[in-house]
Amino acid sequence: MPSVQGPQPASQLTVQVGVDIVGVERIARLVTAHPGAVEALFTPAEQAYCLRKRRKHEHLAGRFAGKEAVLKAIGTGMRRRMRWIEVEIVSGEAGRPRVQLHGEVAEQARLRGLRDLDVSISHSDGLALAHAIAVCDHDSNPGGARAVSPD
Amino acid sequence: MASPEIQTAVQEAVVGALGVGEDEATPDATLMDDLGAESIDLLDILFRIERSTGVKIQASDLGDYIQGGMSEEEFGDGSGNVSRKGLEHLSRVMPQIDADEYEGKLEAEKVISHFTVQNLADMVAERAGAAAG
Repeated sequence: MPSVQGPQPASQLTVQVGVDIVGVERIARLVTAHPGAVEALFTPAEQAYCLRKRRKHEHLAGRFAGKEAVLKAIGTGMRRRMRWIEVEIVSGEAGRPRVQLHGEVAEQARLRGLRDLDVSISHSDGLALAHAIAVCDHDSNPGGARAVSPD
Repeated sequence: MASPEIQTAVQEAVVGALGVGEDEATPDATLMDDLGAESIDLLDILFRIERSTGVKIQASDLGDYIQGGMSEEEFGDGSGNVSRKGLEHLSRVMPQIDADEYEGKLEAEKVISHFTVQNLADMVAERAGAAAG
Protein backbone atom coordinates (compact mmCIF):
# COMPACT_ATOMS: atom_id res chain seq x y z
CA MET A 1 0.00 0.00 0.00
CA PRO A 2 1.48 3.29 -0.97
CA SER A 3 2.30 5.47 1.95
CA VAL A 4 1.16 9.04 2.07
CA GLN A 5 3.52 11.47 3.62
CA GLY A 6 2.21 14.45 5.48
CA PRO A 7 3.74 17.88 5.20
CA GLN A 8 7.44 17.89 5.81
CA PRO A 9 8.46 19.73 8.97
CA ALA A 10 9.31 23.28 8.19
CA SER A 11 12.96 24.09 8.30
CA GLN A 12 13.91 26.21 11.29
CA LEU A 13 14.68 29.29 9.26
CA THR A 14 14.95 32.52 11.14
CA VAL A 15 15.40 36.05 9.88
CA GLN A 16 17.74 38.16 11.96
CA VAL A 17 18.32 41.86 11.49
CA GLY A 18 21.25 44.02 12.44
CA VAL A 19 21.48 47.79 12.22
CA ASP A 20 24.31 50.19 12.90
CA ILE A 21 24.90 53.91 12.70
CA VAL A 22 28.34 55.53 12.62
CA GLY A 23 29.40 59.15 12.78
CA VAL A 24 31.38 60.03 9.66
CA GLU A 25 33.56 62.35 11.72
CA ARG A 26 34.37 59.48 14.11
CA ILE A 27 35.75 57.39 11.25
CA ALA A 28 37.52 60.40 9.71
CA ARG A 29 39.30 61.14 13.00
CA LEU A 30 40.31 57.52 13.45
CA VAL A 31 41.79 56.97 10.00
CA THR A 32 43.45 60.38 9.95
CA ALA A 33 45.10 59.93 13.34
CA HIS A 34 46.02 56.28 12.78
CA PRO A 35 46.75 55.47 9.12
CA GLY A 36 47.01 51.79 10.08
CA ALA A 37 43.33 51.85 10.92
CA VAL A 38 42.42 51.80 7.23
CA GLU A 39 44.28 48.52 6.72
CA ALA A 40 42.84 47.10 9.96
CA LEU A 41 39.26 47.90 9.03
CA PHE A 42 39.02 47.68 5.26
CA THR A 43 40.11 45.17 2.64
CA PRO A 44 42.13 46.36 -0.38
CA ALA A 45 38.97 46.22 -2.51
CA GLU A 46 37.02 48.30 0.02
CA GLN A 47 39.87 50.80 0.21
CA ALA A 48 40.05 51.01 -3.58
CA TYR A 49 36.31 51.72 -3.76
CA CYS A 50 36.09 54.24 -0.89
CA LEU A 51 39.36 56.15 -1.14
CA ARG A 52 38.76 57.24 -4.75
CA LYS A 53 35.47 58.87 -3.78
CA ARG A 54 35.31 62.60 -3.20
CA ARG A 55 33.55 62.03 0.14
CA LYS A 56 35.73 59.09 1.09
CA HIS A 57 35.08 59.28 4.82
CA GLU A 58 31.33 58.95 4.26
CA HIS A 59 31.94 55.82 2.23
CA LEU A 60 34.38 54.39 4.77
CA ALA A 61 31.84 55.06 7.54
CA GLY A 62 29.15 53.37 5.47
CA ARG A 63 31.31 50.31 4.93
CA PHE A 64 32.15 50.18 8.64
CA ALA A 65 28.47 50.49 9.63
CA GLY A 66 27.77 47.68 7.17
CA LYS A 67 30.31 45.41 8.83
CA GLU A 68 28.85 46.08 12.28
CA ALA A 69 25.30 45.51 11.01
CA VAL A 70 26.32 42.20 9.42
CA LEU A 71 27.95 40.97 12.64
CA LYS A 72 24.82 41.92 14.59
CA ALA A 73 22.56 40.17 12.10
CA ILE A 74 24.63 37.00 12.23
CA GLY A 75 24.42 37.25 16.02
CA THR A 76 28.08 37.16 16.90
CA GLY A 77 29.14 40.74 17.31
CA MET A 78 32.89 41.22 17.04
CA ARG A 79 34.30 38.31 18.95
CA ARG A 80 37.70 36.87 19.51
CA ARG A 81 39.91 36.04 16.56
CA MET A 82 37.62 37.93 14.21
CA ARG A 83 39.02 40.74 12.12
CA TRP A 84 37.14 43.58 10.52
CA ILE A 85 38.51 42.70 7.11
CA GLU A 86 36.77 39.33 7.35
CA VAL A 87 33.48 41.08 6.62
CA GLU A 88 34.03 42.49 3.17
CA ILE A 89 31.46 44.69 1.50
CA VAL A 90 32.01 45.01 -2.20
CA SER A 91 29.97 46.69 -4.88
CA GLY A 92 27.70 44.34 -6.75
CA GLU A 93 25.41 45.00 -9.68
CA ALA A 94 24.35 48.63 -10.07
CA GLY A 95 26.48 49.54 -7.08
CA ARG A 96 24.41 47.49 -4.64
CA PRO A 97 26.60 46.37 -1.75
CA ARG A 98 27.33 42.66 -1.53
CA VAL A 99 28.81 40.91 1.50
CA GLN A 100 31.62 38.38 1.41
CA LEU A 101 32.67 36.66 4.63
CA HIS A 102 36.12 35.28 5.26
CA GLY A 103 38.12 33.50 7.96
CA GLU A 104 36.73 33.28 11.49
CA VAL A 105 33.64 35.33 10.65
CA ALA A 106 32.75 32.90 7.85
CA GLU A 107 33.30 29.99 10.23
CA GLN A 108 31.07 31.50 12.94
CA ALA A 109 28.42 32.23 10.32
CA ARG A 110 28.58 28.60 9.20
CA LEU A 111 28.16 27.43 12.80
CA ARG A 112 25.02 29.55 13.04
CA GLY A 113 23.55 28.06 9.88
CA LEU A 114 23.77 31.23 7.80
CA ARG A 115 21.96 30.74 4.50
CA ASP A 116 21.66 34.24 3.10
CA LEU A 117 22.80 37.72 3.92
CA ASP A 118 22.01 41.14 2.56
CA VAL A 119 23.01 44.65 3.56
CA SER A 120 21.93 48.14 2.63
CA ILE A 121 23.93 51.27 3.38
CA SER A 122 23.09 54.96 3.38
CA HIS A 123 24.85 58.12 4.50
CA SER A 124 23.79 61.70 4.98
CA ASP A 125 24.35 64.66 7.29
CA GLY A 126 27.47 63.25 8.89
CA LEU A 127 25.99 59.85 9.68
CA ALA A 128 26.26 56.49 7.95
CA LEU A 129 23.64 53.85 8.53
CA ALA A 130 23.54 50.21 7.55
CA HIS A 131 20.88 47.55 7.82
CA ALA A 132 21.68 43.87 7.41
CA ILE A 133 19.41 40.85 7.23
CA ALA A 134 20.62 37.32 7.81
CA VAL A 135 18.65 34.16 7.14
CA CYS A 136 19.83 31.28 9.30
CA ASP A 137 18.84 27.63 9.23
CA HIS A 138 18.97 26.43 12.79
CA ASP A 139 18.57 22.81 11.66
CA SER A 140 22.06 23.07 10.27
CA ASN A 141 23.38 24.83 13.35
CA PRO A 142 25.46 22.34 15.28
CA GLY A 143 25.23 24.32 18.45
CA GLY A 144 26.85 27.63 17.85
CA ALA A 145 29.41 28.05 20.60
CA ARG A 146 29.38 31.19 22.72
CA ALA A 147 32.39 33.32 23.30
CA VAL A 148 33.68 36.66 24.42
CA SER A 149 32.49 39.36 22.03
CA PRO A 150 33.54 43.00 22.30
CA ASP A 151 30.64 44.39 20.36
CA MET B 1 51.24 44.99 37.53
CA ALA B 2 51.50 47.79 35.03
CA SER B 3 54.25 50.38 35.43
CA PRO B 4 53.21 53.99 36.10
CA GLU B 5 54.22 54.83 32.52
CA ILE B 6 51.94 52.18 31.05
CA GLN B 7 49.18 53.08 33.48
CA THR B 8 49.37 56.70 32.33
CA ALA B 9 49.57 55.77 28.64
CA VAL B 10 46.45 53.62 28.91
CA GLN B 11 44.51 56.24 30.83
CA GLU B 12 45.49 58.92 28.30
CA ALA B 13 44.46 56.65 25.42
CA VAL B 14 41.07 56.01 27.02
CA VAL B 15 40.51 59.69 27.75
CA GLY B 16 41.57 60.71 24.24
CA ALA B 17 39.55 58.09 22.39
CA LEU B 18 36.36 58.31 24.42
CA GLY B 19 36.39 62.00 25.27
CA VAL B 20 35.82 61.26 28.94
CA GLY B 21 37.44 63.04 31.86
CA GLU B 22 40.48 61.71 33.69
CA ASP B 23 38.31 61.45 36.78
CA GLU B 24 36.05 59.06 34.86
CA ALA B 25 38.78 56.88 33.34
CA THR B 26 39.74 55.40 36.70
CA PRO B 27 41.42 51.99 36.93
CA ASP B 28 38.17 50.37 38.08
CA ALA B 29 36.02 51.85 35.30
CA THR B 30 34.80 49.28 32.79
CA LEU B 31 35.52 50.30 29.23
CA MET B 32 32.18 49.36 27.73
CA ASP B 33 29.59 49.66 30.49
CA ASP B 34 30.99 52.58 32.51
CA LEU B 35 32.77 54.54 29.79
CA GLY B 36 30.57 53.61 26.83
CA ALA B 37 33.32 52.31 24.54
CA GLU B 38 32.19 50.66 21.31
CA SER B 39 34.23 48.47 19.03
CA ILE B 40 35.55 51.41 17.00
CA ASP B 41 36.61 53.10 20.25
CA LEU B 42 38.53 50.00 21.33
CA LEU B 43 40.41 50.17 18.04
CA ASP B 44 41.18 53.83 18.63
CA ILE B 45 42.39 53.11 22.19
CA LEU B 46 44.66 50.30 20.99
CA PHE B 47 46.18 52.47 18.25
CA ARG B 48 46.86 55.25 20.75
CA ILE B 49 48.51 52.79 23.13
CA GLU B 50 50.65 51.44 20.30
CA ARG B 51 51.77 54.96 19.40
CA SER B 52 52.70 55.92 22.96
CA THR B 53 54.16 52.62 24.22
CA GLY B 54 55.11 50.70 21.07
CA VAL B 55 53.00 47.76 22.27
CA LYS B 56 50.85 46.47 19.42
CA ILE B 57 47.59 44.81 20.40
CA GLN B 58 44.98 43.85 17.83
CA ALA B 59 41.31 44.22 18.76
CA SER B 60 40.91 40.53 18.06
CA ASP B 61 43.59 39.77 20.72
CA LEU B 62 41.36 41.03 23.53
CA GLY B 63 39.04 38.06 23.42
CA ASP B 64 41.94 35.63 23.32
CA TYR B 65 43.57 37.33 26.32
CA ILE B 66 40.33 37.21 28.30
CA GLN B 67 39.59 33.64 27.28
CA GLY B 68 43.18 32.50 27.87
CA GLY B 69 43.40 30.58 24.61
CA MET B 70 40.69 28.18 25.82
CA SER B 71 38.23 26.78 23.31
CA GLU B 72 34.59 27.91 23.59
CA GLU B 73 33.73 24.51 25.07
CA GLU B 74 36.39 24.83 27.78
CA PHE B 75 35.60 28.45 28.59
CA GLY B 76 31.83 27.92 28.72
CA ASP B 77 29.88 25.42 30.80
CA GLY B 78 27.39 24.43 28.11
CA SER B 79 24.63 26.72 29.37
CA GLY B 80 26.27 29.94 28.31
CA ASN B 81 28.02 30.68 31.60
CA VAL B 82 31.77 30.72 32.17
CA SER B 83 33.07 27.35 33.35
CA ARG B 84 35.02 26.88 36.59
CA LYS B 85 38.24 26.61 34.56
CA GLY B 86 37.33 29.79 32.70
CA LEU B 87 36.60 31.62 35.95
CA GLU B 88 39.93 30.57 37.42
CA HIS B 89 41.66 32.03 34.39
CA LEU B 90 39.54 35.20 34.58
CA SER B 91 40.46 35.71 38.23
CA ARG B 92 44.07 36.04 37.06
CA VAL B 93 43.61 38.43 34.12
CA MET B 94 40.60 40.25 35.64
CA PRO B 95 41.25 39.97 39.39
CA GLN B 96 38.04 41.82 40.26
CA ILE B 97 36.21 38.63 39.22
CA ASP B 98 35.99 36.25 42.15
CA ALA B 99 35.72 32.70 40.79
CA ASP B 100 33.59 31.49 43.73
CA GLU B 101 31.25 34.45 43.65
CA TYR B 102 30.63 34.21 39.90
CA GLU B 103 30.38 30.44 39.56
CA GLY B 104 27.37 29.64 37.38
CA LYS B 105 26.40 33.32 37.20
CA LEU B 106 28.64 34.94 34.62
CA GLU B 107 27.53 34.74 31.00
CA ALA B 108 30.46 34.16 28.67
CA GLU B 109 29.04 36.76 26.27
CA LYS B 110 29.12 39.42 28.99
CA VAL B 111 32.66 38.97 30.29
CA ILE B 112 33.95 41.75 28.06
CA SER B 113 31.59 44.21 29.76
CA HIS B 114 33.58 43.67 32.98
CA PHE B 115 36.92 44.57 31.34
CA THR B 116 38.38 47.62 33.10
CA VAL B 117 40.97 50.27 32.39
CA GLN B 118 43.24 48.45 34.86
CA ASN B 119 42.72 45.12 33.08
CA LEU B 120 43.80 46.77 29.82
CA ALA B 121 46.86 48.32 31.49
CA ASP B 122 47.82 44.90 32.85
CA MET B 123 47.40 43.37 29.39
CA VAL B 124 49.63 46.05 27.86
CA ALA B 125 52.21 45.45 30.60
CA GLU B 126 52.15 41.72 29.93
CA ARG B 127 52.60 42.26 26.19
CA ALA B 128 55.39 44.78 26.81
CA GLY B 129 57.14 42.26 29.06
CA ALA B 130 56.75 39.51 26.49
CA ALA B 131 58.14 41.75 23.75
CA ALA B 132 61.12 42.65 25.94
CA GLY B 133 61.81 38.94 26.36
